[in-house]
Amino acid sequence: MGGFTHYLIQRLLAALVTLIGVATIVFILMRLLPGDPARIIAGLLASPEEVERIRVQLGLDKPLPVQYVLFMGRLFVGDLGISARTNQPVLMEVAARLPNTLKLALVSTALASVFGVTAGVLAATRRYSLFDYIASFGSLIGISMPVYWLGLLLIIVFAVKLHWLPAAGADKPTSIIMPSLTLALFSVALVARMTRASMLEVLNQDYIRTARAKGLRERTVIFRHALQNAFIPVLTVIGLQFGALLGGAVLTESVFGWPGIGLLMVDSIFARDYPVVQGIVLVFSALFILVNLIVDILYAYIDPRIHYG
Amino acid sequence: MKQKVAVRFSIHPKILSFVSFILVLSLIVAACAPAATPTPTPQPAEKPTQAPQPTPTSKPKPAEKTTFRIAVGIDPDTLDPVATTTTTVGNMVDYVVETLVRIDKEGNLQPLLAESWEVSDDGLTVIFRLRKGVKFHDGTPFNAEAVKFNIDRMLDPDVRVPIRAPYTPIESVEVVDEYTVKLNLKEPSAPLVNAFSWTTAGMISPKSVEEYGNTYKNAQHPVGTGPYVFKERVKGEKIVVEKFEDYWGEKPYYDVVEFRIVPEAATRESLLLAGQVDLIILPPAADIPALQQNPDVEVLLAPSDRTIFVAINNLDPILKDKRVRQALNYAVDKRAIIDKVLFGAADPMDAPMAPSLFGYCKIGEYPYDPDKAKALLKEAGYEKLDLKFIAPTGRYVQDFQAAQAISGYLAEVGVNAPVSTMDWPSYVATIVKPPEENDTQLHYLGWAPAYLDAAQQMLQFLSTYAPPNGLETSFYKNEKVDELILKAAKETDPEVRANLYCEASKIVWDDAPWIFLWVQRFPIVYSAKVTGVSYLPNEKFDALYARPK
Repeated sequence: MGGFTHYLIQRLLAALVTLIGVATIVFILMRLLPGDPARIIAGLLASPEEVERIRVQLGLDKPLPVQYVLFMGRLFVGDLGISARTNQPVLMEVAARLPNTLKLALVSTALASVFGVTAGVLAATRRYSLFDYIASFGSLIGISMPVYWLGLLLIIVFAVKLHWLPAAGADKPTSIIMPSLTLALFSVALVARMTRASMLEVLNQDYIRTARAKGLRERTVIFRHALQNAFIPVLTVIGLQFGALLGGAVLTESVFGWPGIGLLMVDSIFARDYPVVQGIVLVFSALFILVNLIVDILYAYIDPRIHYG
Repeated sequence: MKQKVAVRFSIHPKILSFVSFILVLSLIVAACAPAATPTPTPQPAEKPTQAPQPTPTSKPKPAEKTTFRIAVGIDPDTLDPVATTTTTVGNMVDYVVETLVRIDKEGNLQPLLAESWEVSDDGLTVIFRLRKGVKFHDGTPFNAEAVKFNIDRMLDPDVRVPIRAPYTPIESVEVVDEYTVKLNLKEPSAPLVNAFSWTTAGMISPKSVEEYGNTYKNAQHPVGTGPYVFKERVKGEKIVVEKFEDYWGEKPYYDVVEFRIVPEAATRESLLLAGQVDLIILPPAADIPALQQNPDVEVLLAPSDRTIFVAINNLDPILKDKRVRQALNYAVDKRAIIDKVLFGAADPMDAPMAPSLFGYCKIGEYPYDPDKAKALLKEAGYEKLDLKFIAPTGRYVQDFQAAQAISGYLAEVGVNAPVSTMDWPSYVATIVKPPEENDTQLHYLGWAPAYLDAAQQMLQFLSTYAPPNGLETSFYKNEKVDELILKAAKETDPEVRANLYCEASKIVWDDAPWIFLWVQRFPIVYSAKVTGVSYLPNEKFDALYARPK
């Protein structure tokens, strides 16, 4: 276990360095974008004096290095600053929306894992069958279909025509159905394709032939022996997808008016709300690092050949 | 040893447990997620016996609360009246917070919290006489002290008030008696009373800035005197207000009004068509004709005060020639674009401001006349021209699409001006560059004064207001116009003032510092099952007294 603890500490230190790097990069990138936050917040009708006053309130009148040092200093005590746009703590803005995004990403990942792995395994074992063609074609459609279009299609069918589901919002238990399906579709397709490819590779290996030769039932061969070995790359994809779903839910959130962090991110970028954009990017990075760490630990759990420490 | 289990479960238990781990986790998150910042509600001092409502006769169960649901596109940056900059945010805040005066559908000033007002002959004092017997939602009486508190707060440089400029002529606020307030001005300011109709000058309870998580500098839980009490805000999702039983005026029909935040226009439209909201603003423009045909909904293309134009860089060597600028005006078929690109959601400009503004006088359109445009260009010495043209995307109704159409018309008279676009902050940064760095020749823009008076509109033609001192982004300069605008701002006789603006408008129109396009209409669509929905001419819906048919 000592080896594992050591490994964990190493990973967490690396994470810290990564986060400092991310914070620095996002700080610089935001300021490279053209646009004056004070003017955007004040609006076109505001007088130059008010714009200047807001600029001072936001601390944007200070030289960049000073702004950077202040930002990093606050960061180390866990203070993400005050949103330029809403004049409220960034942490509060993020905390109000993060649960919604997490919820959406988790449900979508669960859907993607269950349907994707099932479809992938079935396609691989019934290679060149009708099901395989349908699954491959289906996942091609899933990967190619724009979220925006699919989302609106679902809304028209299930909200406008059938009156089954709420078209937007997050305040009803059924609210999550359409956004999570929309968000999951791309991942289902990806996971299915990855599972199929990985399974096909494994199914050609000698130990599978051995397993069959010793008379094991086909189901046992497929699910016990093949899938376990084929699962590592699939797990990687699922982990990466979860990260991508966290940050990539912007369009889905927009179409379904889902009050998540993607929308906040877009609003904040378009308002040049530096503190909020920085805060969201940092929170996402931390989550992404965490998910990757969990995936790495799961590798060792699923595949006994993998050891850490 | 493991085979038996495996045969029954088929899937490797570790994989199974991984998948179930994710499922369980998502359920846990789903179960405990949406507790997003509920805020405490200000209870009206005491809840009196239920106001005369449609009484529940048959069953003893409590009457179901009637709710009116409105879908809007933006998540408010603030709910503090002084900090608002957007009409739609103002529109929502107006349910809770009232101003001293208001404008009506025609744009005329009407009393609200002030029953009357007078401006002294020298224009240096303004007296507001307040309505009596009005209470804030927290029970605090509305009186002269409360008004003084709010105006002082609005003028306090420590508080963020982006649209403070109209109120800065105020030197001090005096409480004359319980229901009379006197403003002492540094200089006469004719549009000042009008500015008190804008949400910035909304009256909140002085006591409330210490409560409900509010601070003096930032009051995100508005406590006003309006017909609805602020109940709850779920960020990014909705704002809920509830009927104020002690409201001084006519009480609205609906017990609850819910503002839903839905950024996507097509989704707003679907919500309405699915019967999940009762009113939306700004549907997808291309769907307006279909909605007008739909018997389930009513479409209201409300006149607004937003002028849409292409600002011409008047300092540019080519464009400083008036003939070229006029040629550009003649070259564009505004009416065809309104029909085909804006789906009727605009009216051609016939003066440099919207008809709803005080100071408007009709001058007459620049008709579509490509031959005249060519002739004028030739006279100025140009057969062909290359111009740089930029437009925003998604800021105004069909903005980029309309700009492309304009570009097409310009090409027909030999002006090659392909449109490029960029995101809004970059766009603003580009057009507000000082003249020496500013190389945009044509840019598409919309301008809507906060209150319905020519004063703020005419800043667009005041040369001292050019960047970096302001947003007269055309760099237009005509000394006569400057003089008339400055004079009008201080003139206290309304008739004289209107004449000054009219005179200035005529010169501006002839000088053509813009390609004058249209006055945008504000599309409001609502369920055919409700009635009593109207508009205000400054891009606001007026659904306070909506009720089922």
